[in-house]
Amino acid sequence: MGLARTLAVRAATLVILLFIVLFVISFALAGPASEILKDEIMMETKSIIMNLMLHGHYNSTQIQQLQTQIMTQLENAYGLNKPPVIRTLYIMYNMIVFNWGYSYFPSEYGNVGGGKVVDIILSALPGTILLDTFGILLSALIGIEIGLRSALKYGSRSDRAVMYYAALSNGIPQWWLGIVMLLVFAFYLSQIHSPISFPVGGIISPKYYNLWLTNPLKIFTIPQAVLDLLWHFTLPLITVLIINVGGWAYFARTVVLSISQEDFVTFAKIKGLPEGHIVNRYIMRPAAPSILTSVFITIPFIIFGGFLVTEMVFHWWGLGYVYNIAIVGSPVPDLPVVVALTYASTLLYIVIIFIMEIVYIILDPRLRE
Amino acid sequence: MAKRRREFRILGMTPSEIFKEFISGSTGKVAMALFIILVVVSIYALIVLPPNFAEIWNNPKYWQLNPQYAPPAWMDSVIGPVYSPQIYVNNYEYSVQQSNGVTYITISFSVDYKYDKPWSEVFVVINNPAIYNLPQPPVLSITVYRPDGNEIVLGPLPIDRRVTTLGVVPEVVGQVNLFYAEKYHITGVAPEVVGQVNLFYAEKYHITGVVPTGSSATPYIFYTVDDGKLTPLKGVYNFRLVFYVFSQNASSLINREDLEIVLQGQIYGLMGTDNEGHDLWLGLLAGFPIDLAVGLLTALIIVVIAVVIGIVAGFYGGLVDEGLMRLTDFVILLPAFPLLIVFSVLFRWNIWYAVVFLAIVSWGASARIIRAMIMQIRNAQYIESAIIAGASRMWILRNHILPQIVPYILYLLVTNVPGAILTLTSINFLGLAGSEYPTWGILLYYAEVFGALTSGYWWWVVPPGLLVAFVAVVFILTAMASEPVVNPRLRYG
Repeated sequence: MGLARTLAVRAATLVILLFIVLFVISFALAGPASEILKDEIMMETKSIIMNLMLHGHYNSTQIQQLQTQIMTQLENAYGLNKPPVIRTLYIMYNMIVFNWGYSYFPSEYGNVGGGKVVDIILSALPGTILLDTFGILLSALIGIEIGLRSALKYGSRSDRAVMYYAALSNGIPQWWLGIVMLLVFAFYLSQIHSPISFPVGGIISPKYYNLWLTNPLKIFTIPQAVLDLLWHFTLPLITVLIINVGGWAYFARTVVLSISQEDFVTFAKIKGLPEGHIVNRYIMRPAAPSILTSVFITIPFIIFGGFLVTEMVFHWWGLGYVYNIAIVGSPVPDLPVVVALTYASTLLYIVIIFIMEIVYIILDPRLRE
Repeated sequence: MAKRRREFRILGMTPSEIFKEFISGSTGKVAMALFIILVVVSIYALIVLPPNFAEIWNNPKYWQLNPQYAPPAWMDSVIGPVYSPQIYVNNYEYSVQQSNGVTYITISFSVDYKYDKPWSEVFVVINNPAIYNLPQPPVLSITVYRPDGNEIVLGPLPIDRRVTTLGVVPEVVGQVNLFYAEKYHITGVAPEVVGQVNLFYAEKYHITGVVPTGSSATPYIFYTVDDGKLTPLKGVYNFRLVFYVFSQNASSLINREDLEIVLQGQIYGLMGTDNEGHDLWLGLLAGFPIDLAVGLLTALIIVVIAVVIGIVAGFYGGLVDEGLMRLTDFVILLPAFPLLIVFSVLFRWNIWYAVVFLAIVSWGASARIIRAMIMQIRNAQYIESAIIAGASRMWILRNHILPQIVPYILYLLVTNVPGAILTLTSINFLGLAGSEYPTWGILLYYAEVFGALTSGYWWWVVPPGLLVAFVAVVFILTAMASEPVVNPRLRYG
């Protein structure tokens, strides 16, 4: 009973969180930020008017009338004539039913789904999942292994090296390392006509791009396409590994260190048990759950921090890159995409948190009772 | 009896003991050294940069004489004399003559050209508006005596503005083309047919254009045609500039200090330049105060909120605690970065709003730590005794609790700085939450936008990121080194 209740409380908290985030974003969009919307309507009207003036025969008063007519129509379409409260609720409702509208600049996203924001975001999910799963799991595996080894050799030169590496990798912005990697392994390698050089970005070569956007699973049935994907995957993955391994190593080291100071470990040593036995039975076993749980708990924080920007740098077709296109790549901020992305990220984020907490409870027997 | 001096102790240690503990490990020593470097550079930056630096930085006119996208000047000492350096000609010969109501001002100077890539532009700068605002503007004629004995005559050009850009004046382009036509029989390079003629020369003589349309003619002053190819002609070039000022009393108007000749190089300064010719060295220096301010301010707000929430929750307990902890859980769960992005877009925030917002969504973890500490202290026996002895809550807070959590507060302050700097650099890198002062993230944003990656402008990309990493690492190492101080369990070996 206790377990179910804990999970229910947690789920409720997360849903409330989602609602609050949704409300705040919608309110911001409906109220203070509607100026941006008005600017964009103005721009849209102007472009329509320009087109009419080029192709039709209107005099200036007709144009004036048309302009006000189009403006009011657009404002009505965007709901700007309604009071902010109604608009907030309206936006919230549309967000919840996944009616996320259309992008202002569908061509920037390769016309995925005719510019439907839902389709754009869905097409970006596989890339994010691919990079994040591999990046986080691999770096956690390598990092924890390194951390264990360095904790067992506490105070040695290699241990200190691990410490400094951890400090350094925590301080370097992951996306900046991505830029440097691109500069070295994509730009300079192709400059010196090296036989091996890496692509300057993108998730896959242009000829497979459409397939990736529409049906990513099919890519994995074509061997050349898989190789191509791996070729594009190499630099982002290495970047992510270099940055994330250090943090895991430091964390695993701390956990193992604190356990190896426990009395029962000292006692095992005094008993004269073999070193390997002590490590496996007396240190590793109590350390494992707390390391694993923290791996799971930190995943969402890592994904929605550095990984987003890393995707942008590598033009990796994922949520981060779509963010980048919506903010920087478009002439004006592509509001429907930005807002929907934030909502989608929050949704994804709380889903991951909830799954991780279930895993956490399964892993840690103390929480089950 | 001598009065016993009351010793100031935190966690059972005097400040000097804390310092000793901090400095005892190698991490502490490295952190200390790096911290001193950081402080010294920041102070240096504050001294060197003028107070109105933001204004200067955003004024393109200020940087127009600098080359764009230029690598650092020390490149030449690494790879040999390849790029021409930026030269401000000051030590020219200067003479004034007058006849028939015209004043002739003659300037001559020489430059030693020994590089592979010539100067990209020559600027003539007149700093006295009275001269170029004359009803009939002065006229400039330039003669270049080349090392091969030839001379190129350029001009006459009207001097009707502060900065005259030599190479883009159509007349000069024509004259340089004419020079090549006469000397090397590359004829007919008229601007309108330049594409076709260039193609013709490319095919016949493998010369790819003399002065391509839209480019400056200046570099071609320093070329010769050798074996059908344009090659740099190295040696000493003598420049003779004659200004014709149509005014009797020009000698009183113009004087040496008003005249400046600038040869725009291909390399510049300690750290090169960007798309607008900004001296990146100054931009990087400016990053120290602004990035530190941003990081420290965020951390400070985070810690203040965390301490207040933590103390109230831990000290009052009960319903207050329950409510505040729910709130804390909530804040911890907020996806800070996506929210920061969306609000920066929606509200067109500048960096200070982003700082406040980031602090407001990041205090959760710190508040939890403070609360846990206070709960632990609150249940200690000496607090119980104090309560029995009739001490008030404030007294206990002031005398028992605050002294114990002060080091943790400082520790939390240090640990929160790198995260704040990294997050705000990321948001700047997206072109959001900008500031007048160039932060390192903003430099990186412009680098990305203006194709530093596809063109290999490493000097524009590598240093800002390194500095962000440097500042973050200094704080991370400081936090690491102070862990044994704040966490006595780690004090061993």
